[in-house]
Order: sequence, then C-alpha cells, then structure tokens
Amino acid sequence: MAIGKPFVRVEDERFLRGEGRFTADYALPHMVEAHVLRSPYAHAEIRSISTDQALALPGVHAVFTGDDLPSDLPPIQCRIPTHGDLSAYLQFPFARGKVRYVGEPLALIIADTRAIAEDAAELVDVDFEPLTAVTDPSAALTEASAKVHERGNLAGRWGFDLGDVATALDTAAFTASDRFSIQRHSAMPMETRGLLASYDAGRNLLDVYGPTKVVHTNRNMLASMLGMGEAEIRMIEPDVGGSFGARGEFYPEDYLIPFASIRLKRPVRWIEDRVEHFAAINHSRDCVFDVTVAADAEGVITAFDVKLVCDMGSFIRTHGDVVPSHAAASFPGPYRVRNYRIDAMTVMTNKTPTGTYRAPGMFEANFARERAIDRLADRMGLERAELRRRNLIQPEEMPWHVGTESVKRPTIFDSGNFPLIFERATQAFGWSAPFEREVEGWKRGRGMCALVEPSGLGPFEGVRIEVDQHGRVQIFSGSSNQGQGHETILAQIASEILTVPMEKVRVRHGDTGIITFGGGTYASRTAIMGGNAVHAASTGVRQKALGAASRKFGFPIEDLDLREGAIWHGMKNEPLASLGDMARMLMPGNQEILVTPSAGNIPDNDGLVVTSYVRGVSAGAAVFAVHLADVLVDPATGETKVERYMVACDVGRQLNPLIVEGQIIGGVAQGLGGTFLEELSYNEEGQLTTGTFADYLMPNVYDMPPVTSLVFEESPATTNILGVKGVGEVGPSGVAAAVGNAIANALSATSGINTLPLTPQRVIEAIGFEVGA
Amino acid sequence: MKPAPFDYFAPTTLDEVFELLSKYGDDARVIAGGQSLVPMLALRLARPEVLIDLNRIPSLAGISEDGGTLRIGAMTRQARALASDVIRNRLPLLHQALWNVGHPPTRARGTLGGSISHADPAAETPMVMMAYNASMVIAGKDNERIVEAGDFTLGTFETCLEDGEILKEIIVDAPRSDEGIGFAELSRRRGDFAMVSAAARLRLNADGTCADAHLIIGAVAPVPLRCDAVAQALVGTEPTEQRLREAVGLIDLDSFSFDNPEVSLAYRRHIAPTLAFRALAQAAGKASGLHT
Repeated sequence: MAIGKPFVRVEDERFLRGEGRFTADYALPHMVEAHVLRSPYAHAEIRSISTDQALALPGVHAVFTGDDLPSDLPPIQCRIPTHGDLSAYLQFPFARGKVRYVGEPLALIIADTRAIAEDAAELVDVDFEPLTAVTDPSAALTEASAKVHERGNLAGRWGFDLGDVATALDTAAFTASDRFSIQRHSAMPMETRGLLASYDAGRNLLDVYGPTKVVHTNRNMLASMLGMGEAEIRMIEPDVGGSFGARGEFYPEDYLIPFASIRLKRPVRWIEDRVEHFAAINHSRDCVFDVTVAADAEGVITAFDVKLVCDMGSFIRTHGDVVPSHAAASFPGPYRVRNYRIDAMTVMTNKTPTGTYRAPGMFEANFARERAIDRLADRMGLERAELRRRNLIQPEEMPWHVGTESVKRPTIFDSGNFPLIFERATQAFGWSAPFEREVEGWKRGRGMCALVEPSGLGPFEGVRIEVDQHGRVQIFSGSSNQGQGHETILAQIASEILTVPMEKVRVRHGDTGIITFGGGTYASRTAIMGGNAVHAASTGVRQKALGAASRKFGFPIEDLDLREGAIWHGMKNEPLASLGDMARMLMPGNQEILVTPSAGNIPDNDGLVVTSYVRGVSAGAAVFAVHLADVLVDPATGETKVERYMVACDVGRQLNPLIVEGQIIGGVAQGLGGTFLEELSYNEEGQLTTGTFADYLMPNVYDMPPVTSLVFEESPATTNILGVKGVGEVGPSGVAAAVGNAIANALSATSGINTLPLTPQRVIEAIGFEVGA
Repeated sequence: MKPAPFDYFAPTTLDEVFELLSKYGDDARVIAGGQSLVPMLALRLARPEVLIDLNRIPSLAGISEDGGTLRIGAMTRQARALASDVIRNRLPLLHQALWNVGHPPTRARGTLGGSISHADPAAETPMVMMAYNASMVIAGKDNERIVEAGDFTLGTFETCLEDGEILKEIIVDAPRSDEGIGFAELSRRRGDFAMVSAAARLRLNADGTCADAHLIIGAVAPVPLRCDAVAQALVGTEPTEQRLREAVGLIDLDSFSFDNPEVSLAYRRHIAPTLAFRALAQAAGKASGLHT
C-alpha cells in the first residue's frame, strides 16, 4: 500500500545533490541572450524609440521594439472568465503608445551575453512625455484622475446580494464594522522566470524550455499569437524553483523570446533577474475590504455586508479578476450566513499588473472576515470561539451552496464536519486553557481563524501510463510540478493500484510533447485532478493487463488478480505472468497474443498503455481548516513574536503525510511573510520602491515559530474517487487572520490591527502612543 | 543586473593601491567585502571606471593587541571579528553589536572597515566605534592621519576620507575590564536595517554609583547620536530602573530626522528611549555583576 505513506520525496535527492536542471542550466549551440528594456516611468507617452546606437554595439544581434511586431498581433488573452468584458485592459507584449507601469517592456535586446545586452539597453534612446501617475485606487475613481486606459479606471463593478441584508442590519442586536487592507505583495519563487526558445526554421518547429504551470494553455496561446500550429510548438518544463501562482503564467516575455528566436533563427535565452522580477512578475493581494458583520442577541451571525476595492495594476493579465472574484465568492467562509452582500470594484492604476498568489482572494477575505468576527465577539462579550461555533455550517447541511460563484463556477462545499474539526482543533491547541497574559513585560494574546479553502478547480486533467516489458511504469502527466512533490504522490497512486514498488514508477510532466492535453497545476488541484487521472489510467492499465492475461491463459477475467506486480490465478503458488510480461505480450508486432485478422491492415495491440482524462467538478473539494496562534507583543515597541502556531485541517485523505505537513508549514511561512514583512511599495510617482530583497523582506529561519499541523481524514471529498482534498493553500490562507486576532487580543485593542503588514509601528498604533512616553 | 563595464585591479601592496588611486582619481572605487558595493554595481547605481580590490593585501586584515591597545585591520571580516576571543573579551560591545550586522553570509565577506567607510546611518559598527572613542587610521599616498570615530562619519554615506585615501586600521584603547556593555536594536527582521539602535557602556564605582557611561543611538539621523546628557545625568547616581528611565528622557529627540512611511519620525522618537533604556540596563546589570 503506497497511498498514505510518508515517502520522502523522490525529487529531493537530485535537488539536494545540486543535480536539478533549471532553465538557466539549459544551453544550446549558437544560443544568444536576451534582455528586456523596461519602462522607467509609471505613466508616460512614448514619443520615439531610437535603437541605432544600441545596434552598433559589438556583440549585439538585434533590438526589437513594438514596430517589429505584427500590426495585427492580438493582446495576451485572459484565460479565465471575468466579471464583464475586460478586453480593453489586456496587455500587448510591448508597450503601445504609452507606458503604464514601471517595468513595462519597451524593447528586447539580443546579444552574445546578457552583460552586453544590458550595456546596449542603456544606448536605446526613448523619448518620453511623462504623464501623471495613478497610484491610489480611490483617487483613481475620481473625475479628476488621470486615466490609465481610455475606457476608464473602473474596470469592473459587480457583486452578490443574497438574502435580505438590509433587514438583517436593521434588526441586528450587534454589529461591528471596520476597514481591512491587505498590502500588495506576491510570490517570490527562489528561481526567477526564464525561457529558452529554439526555432528550427527548416521544419518550422519551435521548442520552448522554461514554461511551467499551464504549459498546454500557454502553448495554445503562443501558437495563436505566432500564427503557428499548436503541434508545431513544444513547451518543456524543466525543474522549477517555485511558482506559487505567479510563475508559469503567460507574460509578455513568453511571446517575445520565441518571437526573437524565430526572427533570428537562433536559440534565444532570457533569464529574469531579481530586480526585473520585482517589477515584472504578477503582483497580488492589494485590496481593501469595508466589512459590517451583524448578529442577533443569541450570537447568530445574521449578515455580512462588504465593499471590496481591488487594485488591479495597469493591465488585466491571464488571471483576469480572479483574486477579487474568489474573495467575493468565498467571503462568508465556514459560516451559515444567508444574508450576504458584496459590492466589488476592480480599479486600474499605474502599477505592475496583478494575478494570483497562493490562496488568492482567500488570505485577504479570511483576514477581513475573521478580524471582523473577533471585533463582533468582543463587542458582544461573547467568547470568540463560541461565536464561531454557533455559526458553523453543520455536517447535515452538506453539500453547502454558498449562493455565490467565481469564474462561472458555483461555490459549493462538497463535504465536511466543521464542528468536529473545530472542537478537535481548539482542544488540541488548548484554546480554552488559561494562560499568562504577561511575560517579562511582553503581552501574550491568542487568536484563531476558521476558514474553508476551495481546491481542485479547473476543467480536466489527463495522464498516459505506459508499462514497459521490464515492468517499469511511466506516468506522463498533464499537470506540472514546481516543487510540490507531484513526482512522488502521482507515483504513489500508480504504485498502489498497479502493486509495483515506488522505485519502478516514474513521473514525467509539464511537456506538451509527451501528452496531448493537460490542465496544469494551480488552485491546489494536482492531488485531486492529476491524482484521479492517475487513478483512472492505473485502473485502466490493470484492467487491460488482466484482460490480456485472460485471453492469453484462457481463464475468466474474474478469476484473475493483480498483486505484487504480477497476474495471479486463484490460489496458485506461482503467478501466471508479471506486469512486464503482459506489457511485452501487448506490444504491437508481438506474436504471443494474436489479434483477430480482418481484411486489409490488421489493427494490432497498442501496448500496455492507457490514456485517461478526468473532468473537473465545479465545486472542487472544500478543505475546512482552523488556524490558531499564540503571539507575544512588546507594548513598548510593537515588536511581535509568534510563540506557537497550529493548523488543523480535514484533507479528506492524505496521499503523503510528509508532503501534507510540508505544504502546511511552508504555507504558514509564506503567510507570516505576508502578515508581517512583505510589501511591494510604490511612491506617488508610481516608482516601485521595494526593488531588492534588502527592501522586500521575506521571513527567514529566525522568524519561524514552531508550527504544528494537525491533519484529519474525517470527510473524504465526495467529488472525486480518491476522496482527496487539495492542501496547497491551507497553510497561508488563515495566517494574517489568526495572528492579527492574537495581536489584538494581546493588546486588548478595540481598533487597529486592520492594515497589513503588521509592522511594529502599526501594531503600536493600535493602542496609540506618545512620543517620549 | 550586470554591472557596467569597469577595469579591475587586485593589488597586493598598499603602495600599489595608492598609485592606482592617484592615477585614476575619481574614476576609481576601492572594494572591500563588497556586500554593499557589489549590489550597487549590479544595479548600476555605482558605476566606477576602475575597481581596486583590497582583498589581496594581507596587512590590511587582522586583530592585534599591544598592552591596552587593540588594532583592527580595516579588511578584517565581520565574521572573523565576531569569532575573535580578543574582541569578545576586550571589546564586548563590538562583539555584541556584530550579531546585529547583516546575516551570516554577509558577515563572512563583509569587513569592519568596509561597513564603517560605507557610513550607512543604520550601521552598527560606526556607533560602536563612537562609543569606544576609537581612532581611525586613514592612509593616503604620502601620509597617514588619525581621526576620532566621532569625526569620521559626516553624513549618510559620507565620511571624512579624501580622494586617494582609505581607512587602514582602527585603534581602540580597551576599556577597563569591570565595564558593562549593552546593545539593543529593533529591526523589521533580524539582521536587517535597524529602525533604532542603542549602544551603551557603563562602569560602576565601588559604592554602586555610576562612574562612567556612554550612550550612542543609531539609525535616527545621518550620523549616530552621542547622548552625553544622558551619560552625565547617570554619573554619580545609582543606575536604578527609575534613574535609567529618567535619564533616557534626556535624549535629544529633536535631533532625530529620519522619517519614512514605514518607520515614522514619531515612532522612532517613541521607541528610542525604550531601546536606550534596555541597552543601559543591560550594561548596568553586567557592570554590577562584574563588581560582586
């Protein structure tokens, strides 16, 4: 039995030995390097671009600008349904007419080395006419504001109005209202983006190394932009050092680098450097919630009334408006609240465009909702866990239809026993146990966040499984892998069903050349979608092997069994044949199992090979989780220390407990970064002021508290055969909420702790301070 | 993130350094541990025509003690200084402060002289040198001069080094062994730029009254602030908690000037007395321990 076992990840050995092969490890003969010249202005008209001097520099092969691109080139399309038509805000590979954010591509310089390309970039003469930068979303909505795009700065306004919020507010015994801000920050994968495009002009074939996440989708987008056939492009995912939602989307460079390779008929490589990364990668989060939560005298939450403003940056990219969309769809969380209203606005500004970052919309909504619930509990004089307990969705109410939808899919919680997990979580943490409120002058506080994390979204996933004559199993997966451990968990599922040891199963992924269709990796979907595709294909292989053995040995199929990697008949001591033997017999041309002759060509056996595609279920699978934290606060300085942290969650079924725990702990680390440290800041001119890791702080080992993960398998997902739920985003999702609640609790703060990141200054502002006090 | 082109020299003697400096003048920069300059080169914020690498001049690195006088070569690595028994025993305030200087990888390359010459207002080492009243040995082609630590830093990234000069060595008279020290710092993340830091030295008389005290506050103004009013108020009195709290009330908050959205002037003024108190209390506690 391989499912559920804590196998050490099969990927780890090569990474720990330094034998991983990342995009920058790939090189091809005659390869040249690319550098992107980016806008230094947040908002400016481009009067002219002169490239003569740059082209004259020895070692420079080409300088491409917007003039070199086809005049009918479409913008980069959004791959997800949006609220309303956002096509006026899509981005072209190069700025057209004006620049709209610092970092927007203006030109691509191709040279023998990256250093020469950067020297040449300084020789490109761009004549700008600076315009007023739009940096504040609320100012962007005023009449007087400069326009980022002709169509106006308000890209979309939409929402939900469920039940009767107005009456609920009028009749409420208690309400609490506040504004909650989540700062702009984003994924900082250890490996930045990179692409190596190689065009074979003679055969009109293009290979691209470096794409990840959604390689088939990106391949199709590129084919359409280049006017090539989809099968003429192969995208190959090497080892990838992290994505977290941001890496692997289709960016301007994903068009420009292949374009340059085609134009020059040479391999072109571009490796994003960290400074570029800060300005070029999708930013995320950046939103403000105005929340009113209402309750009756018994502590039943009767309404959520929410306004949401999300700063989208300068363009709508491939993710569309999915971040505010998910936030709006899931705002009510795990509570049975039927009166829910949200008025959401998506606003364009002169900042880097935005996209998803691990737990998109959820980290944000959970912070706003759970802080507001603590506020309400304090106002009611009701214990904070008790208020939540009285409002949790009950197991008999499953599946729970929230009544909302995101990306045209209804928000449904398929299964779960929220009260049971809630009780176990609070007991394990010792939530109700008394604790010292003060330690050596520091104040201690306790906080929690209850949440539901949707997982396993997306239309479909596929795998092909091939067994060779030595009984080795190859899984060709349409999912990709950016470090999550998919090579291990997918192998575990095949290992279990085909009864072969893990060492005999290999997973290949992220390559459009190895499987025709692929969904990709996002939305905590691979365990569910990829996993069930492996389940289906493995089951298919098993049936095919048994069926062939039945024909070969003349026993009824129901008397045959697959175990220990071999076909057995009844209680006999020896197997009839190994899985490898069956693979050999099923090879085309093999005489051991003859196919029935017919006129003309005889259709032959097609190997012990099965391709399976599984279709996604709208609802996906809902993970219920409770985050709990004890935090110390220095009331003199606002310094904070997370003392201990626990995430309790019901994942339905664990494929690999080590990977589940790693996902949770790593996710909490990222959540702590977003809670305390990470911020992409802009000044009034629209300059990004956090341009290096000296300014953009990420948590390091000193900042990590002990994290306990408490993982339950109480409520298997009802929407997939394996019963698994996605665990990739449970870790970060509730951190700001739990930690913020703990800090407010420590300080007995009745206001504040509503703006992230929770810097020492912001923490102390919650209780007010006087200079020199 | 590739530096603009430059010529690179790696001299092995100081004479060669000064020759190169006089030949290239303003176009040249010396590079020590490179922990600040290399990122600036990569970002093309610094673009010298010529880079003179000091890493191959053995005489510039090392820690020696002669009687009560310590000499620290400017190219001594921060990690080396942190691991040095001599520094830990004789200049414990420097030892303590070095824990707050960057991170292990940056300390492995970064040098004491480089950090002091870079003159980042949030840097810890210039504060410590001020607290110790260290002497900075500045060398040029034909001359050598000594400047007190308090006169070395002139402003943000600004020192009294003239063209053609480098910081060669730091001389510190080791304080009496019964002195207590304290260092307190608040930064967003351990090892990062301080929001406010405070360095203290304190010595007690036999009767428990304060014989001598020094307090330096960093990261609040272009140069570290020496708080002599606080020190003087403590001398002759017993450094009780209440006394220390009163004394830190004498910090000249008006001379603070740094103000950013993330770390406001008001916030710096608010927390500076707390950090100063903590540094002084640590120092007083240690001094009293050394007495008994």
